[in-house]
Amino acid sequence: MLTEIQEGKTLNSVVKHITQEKINLYAEASGDFNPIHVDESFAATTPLGGTIAHGMLNLAYVSEMMTSAFGRSWLSEGKLRVKFKEPARPGDTLTINGKIDCVEQKDDVSYANCSFECFNQKGETIVTGETIVKLSSDKE
Amino acid sequence: MPVKTISYEELIPGYEFPPATYELNASLVSKYLNAVGSAGDGFVPPLAITACAIAAMTGSLSLPSGTIVIHASQELEFFKLVPIGATIECHTRVAQKITRGKMSMLILELEVLDKGKEKVQSGKATIALPT
Repeated sequence: MLTEIQEGKTLNSVVKHITQEKINLYAEASGDFNPIHVDESFAATTPLGGTIAHGMLNLAYVSEMMTSAFGRSWLSEGKLRVKFKEPARPGDTLTINGKIDCVEQKDDVSYANCSFECFNQKGETIVTGETIVKLSSDKE
Repeated sequence: MPVKTISYEELIPGYEFPPATYELNASLVSKYLNAVGSAGDGFVPPLAITACAIAAMTGSLSLPSGTIVIHASQELEFFKLVPIGATIECHTRVAQKITRGKMSMLILELEVLDKGKEKVQSGKATIALPT
């Protein structure tokens, strides 16, 4: 976990390699078997040209970065807002970078406002977004 | 009992998908953690809960064969940690249905409650369906 919560602090990056096997495992775990994720021959005939990872799989990697930085504060009272810009594909290596944009006080409670970007090995942005984590209450 | 499905054409803003109940047992959580390559920390990962909510919705939505479903954006707010073994209830409502040229978009509001009807998480998902 982060030892210092301050504006500008970068979060530990997460790097993940996407494979069809991981996508298939996520389909099994989530119950989302849309053919664009799991049917390689079907996906090849679509404008996307091949299978893509579930957006929620990419988001799980973002959550891993946030959990690593903020632990249970993230898991119990986190907020996020993301846009999926481009699909992640088998063979891609995703890197998720994040930082604390500011720490705010509202009603005696501190919140860390963070931003992050997930990009692939070509530098294409896959996911962008913001998160908010409730840090502590001065009354606690 | 078979899941009652609704077709995309029948969906209208305000429509509420049938609520779905999940027992978040150790096997389900372990499968999720294995899929996302995470060790876990004794609680149900919040995004595993979101995945259940989305699966409940897609499982009751009937789409024409070959329809691609693309997740365009997601908002989420977590309210509490959920222990492994807990039971949750997922509610999904159509907030907006938009058609722009060959692109259809669904904006869905999600809410997940625990057994005591306390809110576990809420959010909004935008799903694109290119035709």
